[in-house]
Amino acid sequence: MKPSPTAVRRSKRFQVLEDRPVNKDGFVHEWPEQGFVAMSSPNDPSPSIEIQDGRIVELDGKLRKDFDMLDQFIADYTIDVATANEMMNTESVDIARKLVDINVSRSEVLAIVKGLTPAKIVEVLNQLNVVEMMMALQKMRARKKPSNQCHVTNVRDNPVLMAADAAEAALRGFDEQETTVGVVRYAPFNALALLVGSQTVRGGILTQDALEEATELRLAMLGLTTYAETISIYGTESVFKDGDDTPWSKSFLASAYASRGSKMRFTSGTGSEVQMAGAEGKSMLYLEIRCIMMAKGAGVQGLQNGSISCIGIPAAVPSGIRAVLAENLATTMFDLEVASGNDQTFSHSEIRRSAKMLCQMLPGTDFVFSGYSAVPNSDNMFAGSNMDSSDLDDFLIIQRDMMVDGGLRPVEESEVIEVRYQAAKTMQVLFDELGFPAITEEEIDAATYANSSDDMPKRNVMEDLKAAESVLKEGITGLDVALALANRGYHQVAERIFNMLKQRVAGDYLHTSAIIDENNIVRSAVNNENDYTGPGTGYRMSEERWEEIKNIRQAISPSEY
Amino acid sequence: MSRLTRQDYPLGQKRTDVLFTPTNKAYDDLTLEAALKGDISSKDLRISPETLIMQAEISESIERDQLGRNFRRAAELISISDERILEIYSALRPNRSSYDELLTIADELKREYQAFENAKLVEEAAEVYSRRNILRIDEE
Amino acid sequence: MNYSYSIEMQMDDQSRAAKGSDPKEVVIAVSPAFGKALSKTIVSVEHSEVLREIISGIEEQGGVTRVIRNFETADLAFIGHLAAKLSGSGIGIGIQSRGTTIIHQRDLDPLSNLELFPQSPLITLETYRDIGRNAALYARGENVDPVPVVNDQMARPRYQAIAAILHLKEAQEIVRGKPAVNVDYSFTISEEETV
Repeated sequence: MKPSPTAVRRSKRFQVLEDRPVNKDGFVHEWPEQGFVAMSSPNDPSPSIEIQDGRIVELDGKLRKDFDMLDQFIADYTIDVATANEMMNTESVDIARKLVDINVSRSEVLAIVKGLTPAKIVEVLNQLNVVEMMMALQKMRARKKPSNQCHVTNVRDNPVLMAADAAEAALRGFDEQETTVGVVRYAPFNALALLVGSQTVRGGILTQDALEEATELRLAMLGLTTYAETISIYGTESVFKDGDDTPWSKSFLASAYASRGSKMRFTSGTGSEVQMAGAEGKSMLYLEIRCIMMAKGAGVQGLQNGSISCIGIPAAVPSGIRAVLAENLATTMFDLEVASGNDQTFSHSEIRRSAKMLCQMLPGTDFVFSGYSAVPNSDNMFAGSNMDSSDLDDFLIIQRDMMVDGGLRPVEESEVIEVRYQAAKTMQVLFDELGFPAITEEEIDAATYANSSDDMPKRNVMEDLKAAESVLKEGITGLDVALALANRGYHQVAERIFNMLKQRVAGDYLHTSAIIDENNIVRSAVNNENDYTGPGTGYRMSEERWEEIKNIRQAISPSEY
Repeated sequence: MSRLTRQDYPLGQKRTDVLFTPTNKAYDDLTLEAALKGDISSKDLRISPETLIMQAEISESIERDQLGRNFRRAAELISISDERILEIYSALRPNRSSYDELLTIADELKREYQAFENAKLVEEAAEVYSRRNILRIDEE
Repeated sequence: MNYSYSIEMQMDDQSRAAKGSDPKEVVIAVSPAFGKALSKTIVSVEHSEVLREIISGIEEQGGVTRVIRNFETADLAFIGHLAAKLSGSGIGIGIQSRGTTIIHQRDLDPLSNLELFPQSPLITLETYRDIGRNAALYARGENVDPVPVVNDQMARPRYQAIAAILHLKEAQEIVRGKPAVNVDYSFTISEEETV
């Protein structure tokens, strides 16, 4: 309750504090009965396992006949029964120490984790402070080279602006780009804009369009997207069902994507079960560990987690941001790719959002953000990211200050203007060739120099939607796009789009933590596996890369004076 | 042919000799020029069951067993149409199918597509859905 | 001279809601606690005002409104989809106590939608009216310009935890296995002259 200013004389210092941005954030006390607790709840089960005839008959205190869908799936698909008894007998604190110990290899830890139950993993993670978690994450991340993903969206779903923003994001170094829609029926246009915009700048960038599961799969089948990640899973049976899926339907979906040669990862995160009123009194972390183990069992190569769209919930309780780091770490402990969140606004405080982001940026993850908003947050249709386009210079300077590779590179204004123009122009040509509503020179000019959708002339939404719907109806494919562009002389971008389709034939990028470099070569945890064992090992920046990060446009040369 | 390992990876770079489309075109013949001549269509730009099995072998050689298993299930789904895949996925969602409907799908997967791993998954789903009450509830 | 209005809403749960047949019908499905255990949205707007605006929006386009209450779930997508399935036109609106709203269509996947307004703190009464209007237009089979989605990236840090608490309270009103019922509603407007 607020004291009335007339009744109680106020401290001027408290008045200053109350005006600070952090005090616009929401904080709540723990409410364990409803699962409003980060890393440990009195209702979390104790670790246990019982195996008979090669089958798990008791898991964390529950008998097989009482298993819910997730218990059964994890028991049958994830936990290694051959080693479980031995690994479960290892003290949690000893496992925690191995996670941090540079003399214990990543593969040794992976072998232990295979035999653990969800409750045991939670016990292990509770032994670690955040610095230890970051040390463990640096070792356990699957791909040696860290990378970054971005969001490219805008409130009007303007395809010209979206392509220009995708091109700029590609130039800035993002290896994966994600879009979503304001209006669902725009989805095919957004997929097109990302594909064309990103490939205008370099081949190999992976693009996705976050939608309802079935629609997202349709776009991947057409070859208009190259990966998918909005395949949500949840830590309790009731919420899983509310999400309109089961571990079996999601496993089938995982195989469906692979059968079409499309990369995919699942998505989960702490707080989602509380948000959907189905936490059953368990801690957020315990439920998230069940998600991670479900993802592992389904055989997907990776997981996007770190609370994601529910970040306001763990962020409101004690040790919540630590829990978010713990879930990123846990994902890597199962040898899965981690796209580690930082993709949603969680605080009004610049100090708080930087502090959180460093937990993933400093150790490095497969994708530090999932994603970074490459557009202003006012245009971010994922409801805003932890950092946006106006924070780009801050991020680049933090890379330089810390000599840390966060996946981005400094760029020149003139280069940005050039690639934005190229992308918008390419969209104009493509729309013309496919008979879609015309893109005017005025729109190209606006998109070239724009910061946000406010800078764009309005399009005829109804006409656009008709054309967008025709993409699905007529089944316009990635190949159709490449051919249309080649026919109009846009050979380089056509070739790059074609090469993305060719990647589907080889399937190399279906493996854990795959990205595709500018030479069209897949870099994954198969040919670029993390081999960190302390100083001098693991990912170290190359000379060229360090030169690139060092040379920010703001730096003054001593020779100038 | 011996099982592939990470030494063969990435196949698109190191082992194009073993890469073919489901329509039996060689990987190296997939070029934009050929597509412009009309020699390549969307049907050619798909992964083949053999390729997914090779990728499964690579996963299994580095102890990613579940990933390998997913690739093997995926290999079985290649010959099934997009529409049918979406329908089966939909049928597996909660409260969409009866026990018998799921078993009919499992049967179809086995008989028409030799998709035995996927059939097992669907049969198992029928059992779990029945035990956990997430089969379809028919409204009167 | 000023007038101040207050709107009283009467909501009475009736018999089981059946599938409608009127092609002009738009069904509004409210969540278990709407106008009952909870009476205000996350930004303290009265449920009575919210419902009245949506209904006005539907009716000014010649639509026919039916309000139903869903007991089985607090999930917006399913509430909206249920409204659409029971609607004579196949168009339904779902609304949660905290104010989050969806326009749904019978033939879509439950987790898909025609229009979704996920950020409850940002939905104004005017937007609620527009939502009703668009739903009625969809029911008439017209090409519809979607209601602009308002986006405030800082709503989450401020409201997400509170929204979760409201949702937990909503969920406490769920009655599993209880079919949706028609709701009789009436509004009483009292007007007061103030100086």
